[in-house]
Amino acid sequence: MRFTISREKLQEGLAMVAASIPSKTTLPVLANILIETTDKGIRLSGTDLDIAVSTEVTADVEVAGAVTIPAKKLTEIARELMPSPVKVATAGEQRVTLECGQSKFKLLGIPRDEFPTFPSVRFADAWRIRSADLHQLISHTVFAVSTEESRPILNGVLWELRPDHMRMVATNGHRLAKMDVPIAGGGAGSSDLIVPPKALDQVRRLFPAEEDLEIARGENHLGFRSPLTSVFTRLIEGPYPPYDRVIPRDNDKIAIIDKASLSGALRRMVIVASDQTHRIRMSLNTGMVKFSVQTPDLGEAQDELAIRYTGDPLDIGFNASYLLEILRNMPTEDVRLTFKAPDNAATIEPEGWSDPAKYLCLVMPLRLVD
Amino acid sequence: MPTVAVLPADVADQIAAGEVVERPASAVKELIENALDAGASAVDVEIFEGGRAGVRVSDDGSGMDRADALLALQRHATSKIRRAEDLVGVQSFGFRGEALPAIASVSHLTLHTAAERGPGTAVRVVGGTIERTEEAPRQRGTTVDVTRLFQNVPARLKFMRSARTEWRAVADAVTAIALARPSVHMTLSHDGRRVMTLPPAPTLRARIGAVWGAEYAESLLAVHDTHNATTVTGLVERPSDVGTRARRIHIAVNGRTIRDAGLVRAAEAAYRSTIPAGLRPSLMLELTIPADAVDVNVHPAKAEVRFRERWPTERAVEGAVRRALGVLSSAAAVGPRVWNGGGAGAGLGAPAYEAGPWNGVPPDGGNGSNGDYDPRGAPNGVGAEILRALASRGDPLFEAADAAGAGAADASRGEAATEIAVPPLVQLRRTYLMFEHAEGVVLIDQHSAHERVLYERFMGALEGGSMASQHLLFPLTLHLSAAAADAFDTHRALFSRLGFEAEGFGGHTVVVHSVPSPHPRFDAERCLRETLDALTGDRQPGTAARHERLAATIACKAAIKAGEELSPGEMRSLFVALARTTLPAHDVHGRSTVVRLPWEELERRFGRR
Ligand SMILES: Nc1ncnc2c1ncn2[C@@H]1O[C@H](COP(=O)(O)OP(=O)(O)OP(=O)(O)O)[C@@H](O)[C@H]1O
Ligand SMILES: [Mg+2]
Repeated sequence: MRFTISREKLQEGLAMVAASIPSKTTLPVLANILIETTDKGIRLSGTDLDIAVSTEVTADVEVAGAVTIPAKKLTEIARELMPSPVKVATAGEQRVTLECGQSKFKLLGIPRDEFPTFPSVRFADAWRIRSADLHQLISHTVFAVSTEESRPILNGVLWELRPDHMRMVATNGHRLAKMDVPIAGGGAGSSDLIVPPKALDQVRRLFPAEEDLEIARGENHLGFRSPLTSVFTRLIEGPYPPYDRVIPRDNDKIAIIDKASLSGALRRMVIVASDQTHRIRMSLNTGMVKFSVQTPDLGEAQDELAIRYTGDPLDIGFNASYLLEILRNMPTEDVRLTFKAPDNAATIEPEGWSDPAKYLCLVMPLRLVD
Repeated sequence: MPTVAVLPADVADQIAAGEVVERPASAVKELIENALDAGASAVDVEIFEGGRAGVRVSDDGSGMDRADALLALQRHATSKIRRAEDLVGVQSFGFRGEALPAIASVSHLTLHTAAERGPGTAVRVVGGTIERTEEAPRQRGTTVDVTRLFQNVPARLKFMRSARTEWRAVADAVTAIALARPSVHMTLSHDGRRVMTLPPAPTLRARIGAVWGAEYAESLLAVHDTHNATTVTGLVERPSDVGTRARRIHIAVNGRTIRDAGLVRAAEAAYRSTIPAGLRPSLMLELTIPADAVDVNVHPAKAEVRFRERWPTERAVEGAVRRALGVLSSAAAVGPRVWNGGGAGAGLGAPAYEAGPWNGVPPDGGNGSNGDYDPRGAPNGVGAEILRALASRGDPLFEAADAAGAGAADASRGEAATEIAVPPLVQLRRTYLMFEHAEGVVLIDQHSAHERVLYERFMGALEGGSMASQHLLFPLTLHLSAAAADAFDTHRALFSRLGFEAEGFGGHTVVVHSVPSPHPRFDAERCLRETLDALTGDRQPGTAARHERLAATIACKAAIKAGEELSPGEMRSLFVALARTTLPAHDVHGRSTVVRLPWEELERRFGRR
């Protein structure tokens, strides 16, 4: 294998793939980047066995071939090189030389045969989706996934693909985020996928919003593809809990609140709330919400805010950090909160949002036993 | 010099009546107390055949003139009180005027005494009758020589035990007084052999060192606390030492050694959750309370007192001991005590205390080869210095940020929301947090520490505090074994206090709607399952014990485990939470949450000293 590549292209390719390389691994080849020549240049690939990323950059190929090179060393070298063309060549199966101006490196790679093969996903009948839509879904839901290991299902984001819309749902069992966006003729039929958030992060990072993506499902893998870059990920086995049943339909107490003021009040309360539960109390009344927090050993705080509220007065407790996180993701200046009773789920939605997407978050209250 | 007078009959009648001397040890106790009441600075005690053959107590106190010496042998003759009112707040050991005549009536007794001026008098009494009184010169002081004890009382004689058993009781009685008055020079000999020499000691700790060895003394934790009008001082056993050696109890109230099961129980309560059930700590506690708050005239042998208000007194004891257990020095230390010269050469993690040189009583009753009481660690040696310094510093484990304030002790009592200053923390092996302290390197076991934090929080919730409970979007459905379902039913109300809101669905299925949320990584289902497993097969303990058992079990299951990586923020909040607990240095199983590696120990290992 022998090719010449500009320093910039090399760096660009490495930057795309590097984040998929595990920092610690028991399988040495996973610390390497696979470099293969293609028609137009080279393809760089990396994987941690859960997620695989590969991307193609232009280069002048003299001799076709493939090899794996330690990712960390290659990235460090690329960063320090003079801005001149870089010549890369293999000698035998695993010796690699790299020359750039007066700089010369010899690296020991690992033969490509040892690099794990990618899951096979057929893109023949793929969904075709605007990257921007996907970005929007991901950025509004992924924060709500569970990080606790006890229920692996909840460690993933549910992605429902339908002919005319798609939806993502994430929850940790205490709070939930759900977003729908309409799509124009996605292509393939309906499907429910549970996707690890790490893969969605890569998707968001690697595919610019203006690109069109192809998405296809394999046995238990999912592939995302743009003309130059692809991401493959393992799927989490279902079934996802019946989230639709827990979304309240009969919340009869409705508050419209300025998001910034609400966040401000909550952030002030959190200072005095318990480190563990972040418990605060909200007392809703016509035209007004009062906040209060009492933490033994620490102290107490109160605050209040003028709001639009319809319904009977209500006292309800929440983990303030859940509310704050949701508010951070709300796209509008005003938010609409609905409640039923101190033991029932509350919802938070954008108020006056002109976007065709639909967004709903849900929080279970925190009760004080005393 | 006070003079002896016979109490009026109506006063005498008010004095707790009963048997004053029932065995040699009680005679010895009375005689030493008389010596101390006379202001003696040195008391020598000689015992023969466990006291069956003879008892002799000599002092350098005030002594008596001839008239007083004769009067002192009469019943109800005393120099210590005059009127019934004097009984309130009496400071002296004696106040009845009973001891000398009582002993004299059941023995052959010689009282040899001399006051500052005057010739000196010897009085010989046989079975209560004065046989001879003569002038006999001696230095100021008194010697009482008692032989043929109970020889004229067959009923008593029958109940006397072997010389060895009686000796044991005598030694205990002498030790008890020696601890109550560390400043008095005392010696004890048995059948002509000196078995204990106790030079004047500046502190209780030093005196304990002289009795049971410096290493033992140094292993104890200092107690010093004043609550309302009650001051509790003394020394108690480190939780990690409890059960590894003889248990010793010494309780004194206003300088008087007493028995009091209630105070012992109160002190033990302070250990709750730091030591396994069934183990009982050694306690050496001295209470100072207003004289009129305690009645000493309730027991014929003065072995008990009555408190005007018992409950606050017990509270004060419990609080003081708990506070002592809350400081860093109560944590287990690595290596031998620094001040014993490193002779023990224990490896890391092997503190291995040996029993003191005299573990209770010499096994051979003091007649054998090793019955030597001589203190190994002389109380005025270097050791005692360091020890006193440490004891007075009470080094708090977790410094309060405002150094001027009362500090972590207050914070740990929840009285003030003192900010806890968090030192830089490092996680080791995903299991321990390490930080630097003025005294050395300190390691915290993250699981044990978190367990302690949660235990106190859960106990608080069970005892009426509040607990936040997170409602679940998707209720948990648990299919339990019959035994686990049983355990759930038994503890249902308590689980709900802890935040587990659940309904039974008949059979063994339980649906949980809301769960506690003690930390972000909390796995409610697993915690509940494991707790129920641990609770199955439990006998039905009392309510208090059930609370503790449940809180301890849930705390253990809910706490972060060894092997979990903590973010810097998590480490800091664990540190602060631990510092706010009442007993930060001990987990709920009696293990240490904190281990100290003192600088001295490090320096010793690196050959720097
Ligand atoms: N070692 C001694 N040195 C000086 N005085 C003594 C000594 N022993 C006894 N006395 C005097 O003899 C009196 C009688 O002693 P005794 O022990 O019988 O009664 P007490 O000490 O007054 O009261 P209690 O019966 O409670 O001990 C004492 O009050 C004291 O004045
Ligand atoms: Mg007396």
